[in-house]
Amino acid sequence: MNAHAASMERPVLKDKTRLGDVGPKIAHAALILGLIALGGSIAWGVTLEGGKPLWKSYLINFAFFTSLTLGGLFFVIIQHVTHAGWSVVVRRVAEAVACNAWLMALLGAGFVLGGGMGSLYEWWHLHPGHGNHLYDIKAPYLNHTFFYIRFVAYFAIWIVLSQYFFRTSVKQDESGDPNLTLAMERRSPLAVILFALSLTFFAVDMLMSLEYAWFSTMFGVYYFAGTAGAFFAVAILTLSFLQGRGLLTESVTKEHYHDLGKLVFAFVVFWCYIAYSQYMLIWYANIPEETFWYQNRLGDGWKGLSLFLLLGHFFGPFLFLMSRWQKRRHGTLLAAAIWMLFMHWIDMFWLVKPGADMPALQSSVFDLTLFIGMGGLWVWALFRRLQDVSLVPERDPRLGESLRFENY
Amino acid sequence: MNTTAASYLDNTGKDPTQRAPLVLGANDLHDVTDKVCGIIENPKPSTGWYVGMAVSLLLLAVLGYSVFYLFFVGVGVWGVNNPVGWGFAIVNFVFWVGIGHAGTLISAILYLFRQTWRTGINRSAEAMTIFAVICAGLFPGIHVGRVWVVYWMFPLPNQMEMWPQFRSPLLWDVFAVSTYFTVSLLFWYTGLVPDIASVRDRAKHRIRQIGYGILAIGWRGSNRHWHRYERAYLILAALSTPLVLSVHSVVSFDFAVAQLPGWHTTIFPPYFVAGAIFSGFAMVVTLLVPARKWLGLEELITLRHLENMNKIILVTGSMVGYAYAMEFFIAWYGGVHEETFAFISRATGPFWWAYWIMVSCNVIFPQLFWFKKLRTSLPAMMVVCLLVNVGMWFERFVITVTSLSSDFLPSSWGYYYPTLIDFTTLIGSFGLFFTLFLLFCRFLPIVAMAEVKMTMPQAHPSKH
Repeated sequence: MNAHAASMERPVLKDKTRLGDVGPKIAHAALILGLIALGGSIAWGVTLEGGKPLWKSYLINFAFFTSLTLGGLFFVIIQHVTHAGWSVVVRRVAEAVACNAWLMALLGAGFVLGGGMGSLYEWWHLHPGHGNHLYDIKAPYLNHTFFYIRFVAYFAIWIVLSQYFFRTSVKQDESGDPNLTLAMERRSPLAVILFALSLTFFAVDMLMSLEYAWFSTMFGVYYFAGTAGAFFAVAILTLSFLQGRGLLTESVTKEHYHDLGKLVFAFVVFWCYIAYSQYMLIWYANIPEETFWYQNRLGDGWKGLSLFLLLGHFFGPFLFLMSRWQKRRHGTLLAAAIWMLFMHWIDMFWLVKPGADMPALQSSVFDLTLFIGMGGLWVWALFRRLQDVSLVPERDPRLGESLRFENY
Repeated sequence: MNTTAASYLDNTGKDPTQRAPLVLGANDLHDVTDKVCGIIENPKPSTGWYVGMAVSLLLLAVLGYSVFYLFFVGVGVWGVNNPVGWGFAIVNFVFWVGIGHAGTLISAILYLFRQTWRTGINRSAEAMTIFAVICAGLFPGIHVGRVWVVYWMFPLPNQMEMWPQFRSPLLWDVFAVSTYFTVSLLFWYTGLVPDIASVRDRAKHRIRQIGYGILAIGWRGSNRHWHRYERAYLILAALSTPLVLSVHSVVSFDFAVAQLPGWHTTIFPPYFVAGAIFSGFAMVVTLLVPARKWLGLEELITLRHLENMNKIILVTGSMVGYAYAMEFFIAWYGGVHEETFAFISRATGPFWWAYWIMVSCNVIFPQLFWFKKLRTSLPAMMVVCLLVNVGMWFERFVITVTSLSSDFLPSSWGYYYPTLIDFTTLIGSFGLFFTLFLLFCRFLPIVAMAEVKMTMPQAHPSKH
């Protein structure tokens, strides 16, 4: 292979790879904004209509930011599984994003312990043996104790995995020991399995069981498809932001953006493939146990939103991102990344909001304020994490490959 | 680069500071051409080839006889009955379409992912794709009953205004499989052109010169030709990528759009695709392990290539395992009595043996590939991959037959007994497949020479 000889030499990074004083400024502003928005929303919303509008919005944003975090974890794991070279300069950002799992755990605990479960999930109030045959069947899975156990398990898995990959990678910045890469590669296949199972059942518990009667074997894959796609958009945005502050200007190039753009495109298509398969099969078989879930999303105003999701999450970005030119131009790629994040948020909204209690489309002010609240904390945690470390894995054995990487 | 004599032929090392070489030994660009072209320039093929061909032709004759007998007597010679109206023919169809997934995945998706190791195996895998799709296409064609009007499968305008049922996934299959076949064939042929030109240029015999000359469509290796070739290759890769997903997704719709318990489940499309890639790679490994030995290609199709394929088998096998688990979980969680019954009945009912063959071959045995020692051992990978082939055939059997044999009404249940002709048709289809593959090994370059050379250090002189 052509890469051998050159990769033996230790590459020299020519650009700024430390956040320096950029970090605290962003982190503080985000923290203050986040705390005000989150605290204000909860204080105001918790008594409003029994807290229901608040908790729905909370769940939308919780599912959204958790999925960005998980997207980061997925990216890190998959790079190690495949022994990827091109992505080394991008990986530190993903490692830090994944580490936000602890923040999502706290926010999730707030939801579960603060009354979100009781407010949104019908099954939370049901007891077996009271004549609800369907719930009687599901009770061994959908009960409080088992739910708590699973919830703790998901976040424990994500926190342990994200901390492991982040810390090992940072350790390598100092020692440059290639054995650390080997260690991470060795553990990554197991991480993939844990990730796949935890993400699937997280989606089942937090989103699918909102309608406890409804079921779809595809649901976990659907949440995953949006998750992975959204992370690439986050990576594009974060790297652009850092480069705008004069960081990583040499190591991250148009080539890396181009690849991230390709991955956004790929997951635009994959998401649509999954969404279409799920919808078409349920529509075609036309069994009432399944169709009611989509029926809820075709009511007053919801139909428009469903169509918007189809156009905005698939057709628009599919056509927009198809050409090489759009992916290699900074402005167009950035616009696409922002749009895809917006559409992913709409997707979460579309999953959480509709239901028998909401026949017509309604948005609430908490949708926005909690986005700002959780988003602020999320950005704060991300920049805190990146503050004291290099923004690229400086001594990764494949750094040279990543720096030299070119799309031809 | 630094392959020492001790590690000769083993390039499966993991050293992250350097990428392992894909062509081993002291081969330069010319040696690659010599090695690959040598196989087809040899005036007499090996005895092994003749033996293989004899067996394959015998099996092909068995297929020919089975099909003739079927046409002569009718579909009643098969074991299909009421309620199991879909028997071996559909199982074989789905099985062969599945086998036909590895080639295009290797050529298209791994190309887009810049996996240069694909170059050693893509040509033969693509050939297998095409031959497998031919085998697959046979089965719906002979299952229609009135074979003399088989062209009615296509929506051809006619004075009777008779049209196929556009709402049926079986018609979508006609489009999906024929599109896949066409694009795979074009893709394969496009990649072959520069290599066929090499064969043409080396040919000594007039007939060879003319034959390969026509197939090489005027390739002269000019810059302009290479430029167009690379563009065409990229575009075909981009077109093939969604096709890898769509074909088996549409095949899965044959089952999943129905309301039959065990068939109607939303995860079917990606699950079928993963299963198809799983079985396709198993077939590629099964054929390449002996082929590389007999044809002396161990330095081009290296242990690393095989190990990587085994890793893909492990990944896709795990995806299939995930799908089995989700199906079971949702069959219970959904709380629909018939659905729960269908799944319990698969594991413990009259076809329990088929179910456990499927689970052990598809989920349990591939786990052996977690161990590097086993996934780099030729005998071990042969055994596991053969078992995967068996397991994936049984998966389709389990899906098709168990659900049909016991649906909602116990009074309409029935068992399914395949007949001798069912078995001879299945075994015969392997004859068709192997005959085509052996002809390919004899007459076309089985390794993509031009592409392999691009991955060799000699192709990048400036870097050294």
